[in-house]
Amino acid sequence: RLLASGSVFPLSCIHTSTPLEKLGKWEKKNRIVYPPQLPGEPRRPAEIYHCRREIKYSKDKMWYLAKLIKGMSIDQALAQLEFNDKKGAKVIKEVLLEAQEMAVRNHNVEFKSNLYIAESLTGRGQYVKQIRYHGKGMFGIMKIVRCHYFVKLVEGPPPPPEPLKTGFDQAKEYVQQLRNRTITHTL
Amino acid sequence: MAALVVFSSPLLRLRALLQRCWGRLERGLLPGFSGPQSLPWGPALAVQAPAFLPELVEDTSQSNEVPSFLDSILWMAAPKKRRTIEVNRCRRRNPSKLIKVKRNIDVCPECGHLKQKHVLCGYCYAKVKAETRQIRLEMHKKEGGPFNAPTVETVVLYDGEQPTEKDEGKRIIERARKRPSWFIQN
Repeated sequence: RLLASGSVFPLSCIHTSTPLEKLGKWEKKNRIVYPPQLPGEPRRPAEIYHCRREIKYSKDKMWYLAKLIKGMSIDQALAQLEFNDKKGAKVIKEVLLEAQEMAVRNHNVEFKSNLYIAESLTGRGQYVKQIRYHGKGMFGIMKIVRCHYFVKLVEGPPPPPEPLKTGFDQAKEYVQQLRNRTITHTL
Repeated sequence: MAALVVFSSPLLRLRALLQRCWGRLERGLLPGFSGPQSLPWGPALAVQAPAFLPELVEDTSQSNEVPSFLDSILWMAAPKKRRTIEVNRCRRRNPSKLIKVKRNIDVCPECGHLKQKHVLCGYCYAKVKAETRQIRLEMHKKEGGPFNAPTVETVVLYDGEQPTEKDEGKRIIERARKRPSWFIQN
């Protein structure tokens, strides 16, 4: 937390929060503070944002794991990741456990199992290009690929999965779209 | 940049080869297209009657050259158009390529960790493996060197245990700790 610069004691002028690395947007999302809720409002569920940057893995391969755990409860997600053979599964499991710990310690979450994964995304990290030597003097340019992983945990039971759209529903929507068309500047 | 120079000369060689191949093809294809008509160049136009002779000469000269292996470059499969990101996404996100949710995960009754139904619990296995390693270290210390395994059975005794009448002629390995609950004494 940033200290007020107009502090009384001269000794406490040392800036305790030195920006070690520039905070990304995802890290800043944990800092938003809502105004206190009115007595009649339903309880706002706690949201915990966590991420890990510059993981030595491909963002496309990581995306499959992120898609697997989207919408699951945290216990189910941890179970699935434990028995998955991919390298990214171990990393995501660590991230989820860290986020769970943060939730209980800092974000006033009562039960650590009462969390579900609302969003889980991957992003591209910084790439480094290198030369890969082939035979006959040929060479290729290799990319050392890194990715970021973002996760948002929300308190509460996981929402039920949406029912799949049938062809009949899609046809109904299409017909409704056609019916909604109007001709402008006429009667 | 040595790598770049060497890289461009195979390209030049390839281009020259392709030009030669294309020239050969043109000469080979045109007689096929014109067929009964006279050839556009030289002696065939002047003399109508022996119009076949230049063709035959051309053909024999053609057939002497065996089509080399590198001619097949022109018939290799290559993508015609760039695959759009929409097409790529349809292929990559197809349900067959997504990771399937495993339904065979249970809780181990011994330690409470997660385990797959058809696989031993990882935690319990690691526990047993560590204890087995300690027992084998003791055995190595007792044997002293390689090829000294005794011909009799081995019994492992923990703190405060005495060998019974059944363990008469057996080799006894002492472990300086309490007996683990999962290692049942006979």
